[in-house]
Amino acid sequence: MMDSDRTLAKVASFRAKRPVPPSVNNAVPDALYWSTQMAAVSLQRDRASFMRIYDHFAPRLQRYLRNLGVAESMADELVQEALLTLWRKAAMFDPARASLSTWLYRVARNLYIDHVRKEPHWLPVQDGLDRLDHAESDRRDSQPESSVDQDILKQAIDRLPPVQAKLVRMCYLESKSHSEISLELDMPLGSVKSSIRRAFAKLQGSMRAPR
Amino acid sequence: MKPTHHLDDATLLSYSAGALPAALAVVASAHLERCATCREHLLDADQIGGMLLQQQRVEAPDDDARAAMLSLLDHEPALAPMALPADFVEAHDPDRLPSALHPWFGKSMHALRWRRVAPGVQRILASSIAGGDLMLLRIAPGSKLPLHSHSGNELTMILDGAYDDMLGHFGPGDVADLDGETLHQPVTSPGVPCICVAATDGPLKFSGWVARTLQPLFGF
Repeated sequence: MMDSDRTLAKVASFRAKRPVPPSVNNAVPDALYWSTQMAAVSLQRDRASFMRIYDHFAPRLQRYLRNLGVAESMADELVQEALLTLWRKAAMFDPARASLSTWLYRVARNLYIDHVRKEPHWLPVQDGLDRLDHAESDRRDSQPESSVDQDILKQAIDRLPPVQAKLVRMCYLESKSHSEISLELDMPLGSVKSSIRRAFAKLQGSMRAPR
Repeated sequence: MKPTHHLDDATLLSYSAGALPAALAVVASAHLERCATCREHLLDADQIGGMLLQQQRVEAPDDDARAAMLSLLDHEPALAPMALPADFVEAHDPDRLPSALHPWFGKSMHALRWRRVAPGVQRILASSIAGGDLMLLRIAPGSKLPLHSHSGNELTMILDGAYDDMLGHFGPGDVADLDGETLHQPVTSPGVPCICVAATDGPLKFSGWVARTLQPLFGF
């Protein structure tokens, strides 16, 4: 109890310094804004903050799932399920580790693999990996690198050469395997993989770059 | 012991995207369990997914959808304190298989029921996995496998024992992440049998008449 009171006090003073901007469609609020909303959901069960997250992310999750070929009613269901997961597990969110969009991306992808691809063992394995990561960050004295600068990553994605950008999108947004991409684009498997490797190295470089 | 051979970045990106064929994903998960380095790289890959999610252009949700979401919250029970079970990894138990393998092969290395498929080679096939083949292999110490390449992707993780090939020395926790361009001939280390879990998304291609003779025995 003591611990959560202390955290609450910390968050409360942190919140006071930062007025909440009105939500604007398609504008992208920064990571600090989302971690503030998440703190309010987690500690105060604040519905207004929850609905700010909903308004921004629900349509994006919906679009993501529909692009993967999920039927509309199933996509609606999975979006609700993803946000209920957020409501239930808000305390697990660690803004120093990953941005909220990353966290929700993982939740939605996991629901997709579980419900749509019907791989019943995926969720327990992912929960296990999550726990390992939490145990690790608890053991560390100092925080690891805080979540990446979203603007720098966005620019790095925009700067990818067209072929690499296309392959990255086919992976993430169409969930195509390397072999499927190789067939569809009539490109040797080795070239598909090496292009993806190069794209990943560039994006990773941007995330690790000194600010 | 920390693994020294890791998942290919292209494999990790595919895993993050939910696009890795199921059999390969099982082996990738087993390695991720044992490898903090690959978990860090996976987080990077997830950040890319998060950004692509963020970048989608969309309309605001309608009032009905918002109302439906709020009514779901009404039915949520008050939150119980989050339990963090510590049972995921009982570290350093050499008999315990990685958790990702439990649904397919059970928990204990000791309890595995091997079937001989060729001299010095025993195997257990995972049944009914969609998207590729998944198997455990137990290869006698000091054996030389036939030279082979792969028509698709192959992911192998060492669970016990070791082998050497042109790519280096592979010990427990290491993964060999190979595609069709690699032609290799692993030689298992002396001492204990080499036990590994292997997944493919396409059949193996052996070269040479000996290998062609062996291929039906392996049943790849």
